Amino acid sequence: MRPRTWIALLVALLVAALAGLALGPVSLAPGTVWSALFGNGDANAIAIVQTLRLPRIALGIVIGAGLGVSGAALQATLRNPLAEPYLLGVSGGAAVGAVTAVALHFTSLAVLPIAAFAGAALAVTLVLLVARAAGARGDPRVLLMAGVVVGAFANAAVMVLLAGAPGDTVRGALWWMMGSLSDATWQGTRWIAVYVVIGGTLLLALGREIELLALGEDPAAALGVDVERATRRVYLAASLLAAVTVAGAGLVGFVGLVVPAIVRALGARSVRSVMLGAAIAGGALVVAADVVARTVRAPAELPLGAVTALIGVPFFLSRLRRMT
Amino acid sequence: MAYDAGAVIPAVFTILRCGLLPFGKESVLFFSRRATTVVFLSALAGACGTTAQPPVSPFVLDDFGDTIHTARPARRIVSLSPVTTELFFALGAGSRLVGRTHYDSYPAAALAVPDLGDGMLPNVEAILGVHPDLVVIYASQSNRAAAVQLRRAGVNTLAIRDDHISDFRRTVALLARATGDTLAGVAIADSVERSLAAVSARPRPARPVTVFWHVWDSPILTIGRGSYLDELVTIAGAKNIFGDLADPSPQVTLEEIVHRNPDFILVGTVTGQALRKNVLWRSIPAVREGRLLVVDTVLVGRPGVRLGEAARSLRALILKDTVR
Repeated sequence: MRPRTWIALLVALLVAALAGLALGPVSLAPGTVWSALFGNGDANAIAIVQTLRLPRIALGIVIGAGLGVSGAALQATLRNPLAEPYLLGVSGGAAVGAVTAVALHFTSLAVLPIAAFAGAALAVTLVLLVARAAGARGDPRVLLMAGVVVGAFANAAVMVLLAGAPGDTVRGALWWMMGSLSDATWQGTRWIAVYVVIGGTLLLALGREIELLALGEDPAAALGVDVERATRRVYLAASLLAAVTVAGAGLVGFVGLVVPAIVRALGARSVRSVMLGAAIAGGALVVAADVVARTVRAPAELPLGAVTALIGVPFFLSRLRRMT
Repeated sequence: MAYDAGAVIPAVFTILRCGLLPFGKESVLFFSRRATTVVFLSALAGACGTTAQPPVSPFVLDDFGDTIHTARPARRIVSLSPVTTELFFALGAGSRLVGRTHYDSYPAAALAVPDLGDGMLPNVEAILGVHPDLVVIYASQSNRAAAVQLRRAGVNTLAIRDDHISDFRRTVALLARATGDTLAGVAIADSVERSLAAVSARPRPARPVTVFWHVWDSPILTIGRGSYLDELVTIAGAKNIFGDLADPSPQVTLEEIVHRNPDFILVGTVTGQALRKNVLWRSIPAVREGRLLVVDTVLVGRPGVRLGEAARSLRALILKDTVR
């Protein structure tokens, strides 16, 4: 990707972040927002900007980056442009893990990602087993079908877990499963960021292996890659990223699908640059989607997952048509 | 995800039951005026010494527009809402109850009545299992199917929509017809309207005291213009900060609450403690400065027999004014 494109991506992220800061259910003048950012002016404006809007933007960037990198790595490794944590059932598995943890009263964002990761790892294993049993690992559609089926299973598991829970938990959990940044705090965002950086670094470090896996398993093996081990590592790291985003903001689908495709269309070729570009573009997309979620029906808020799905599903369909 | 289940569920239950019909503030005022007239008329009636039961037709129409037979007083009653359960006890028909919802906890004697689960989307089989000759159900669209099934099974089913304070007299009258004691119904309605009129007649502060009613956490739900609780807040002499929203239980954002800056936050017991510690909620000055008022949701959350008491307790809580 040319330097100009990198700059354009960063500018997009900056614009989204500025929009996130300036726009919301309460309209504040740009001057008010600016001074509130530095702790000056009306106490309520300061609270709105510093406590409510800033952490949301930060969490949106982190979540978007995680989803983007995870999607990029999965697409390359599976040689499937439709691979994405949500469609592969990985996010669903993470939700089962997280809901189980909450049911056992582990709600800290330091612990929740680990439980979500356990669920996500289980889901990804299941998906690959189902796809293998179907005997057509090469067919990207079989893998997606397996993912959707595992995702439906995860959904059912969550419902069963919630059936025994008190009504308030159910409603809270359902809202959370639709995806939302409304609970963003600095403390929570810090934990999510730590995990996203770990997962992202792992995948970037695996960049060369992913590059070779993208050529196909046999060529990769011929070029000296331990295919089994490398694939497992990519799945685990990508699942970790997806799981962390689920723990932090619930199920936000399709970001991992849309963003790597955009970055590739902008000219990114190497897997590492697709992943990095997807991190930036993912942050921009989630922050922008959150601005939409917060403002279109104000003072009510739309679930973030609904907004990203409204963007992602038409995109998915156009891709699918091109494939078949 | 910390909730005050015991206190919140009944409140939410009530809120969720609130209808979609917009109900303007004028109506509340009208009601106060009408209430005084009614009190006056019934005082007259009392003076005349009327004791005979007025003649009644053997049918009434309920809020689904269905015909209810009231020729014979009901002897085995299932009451599927906390409000009607309270009312049956007040009408002296508590001993005829053979079923209630999970949330009917007042009066204490109600706890001895078999718990048949939810009042919304009730379990029809469980209801038929106690062989009722009358089922009283909340007239919402989601309960329509249950009402039809019960009628098909030959059970007299009375659907009541009691979303507003002005519905109270009619609700009591319908239940009193069913139990065969219409005079007791008139007496209850008179006494409740008298207490409400007494609270309503108290002086209002020159600068309105504003409140935010915390109903739910994720997503944040409060009370709007169309809700019974908004009417109660107005009668108590305070002002609901979201009284301009037509939705009876609107979803709102923290940002908007900060902006509207209420004098007090009304919450349930445990929710109050959780809010005080929540970083995001602390962006609201009233939360930061501890201006949280704990509401007895079981008393206040239900437009029933204790409406007068509820209005008095709200007035005492918010305006520190005890109405005798």
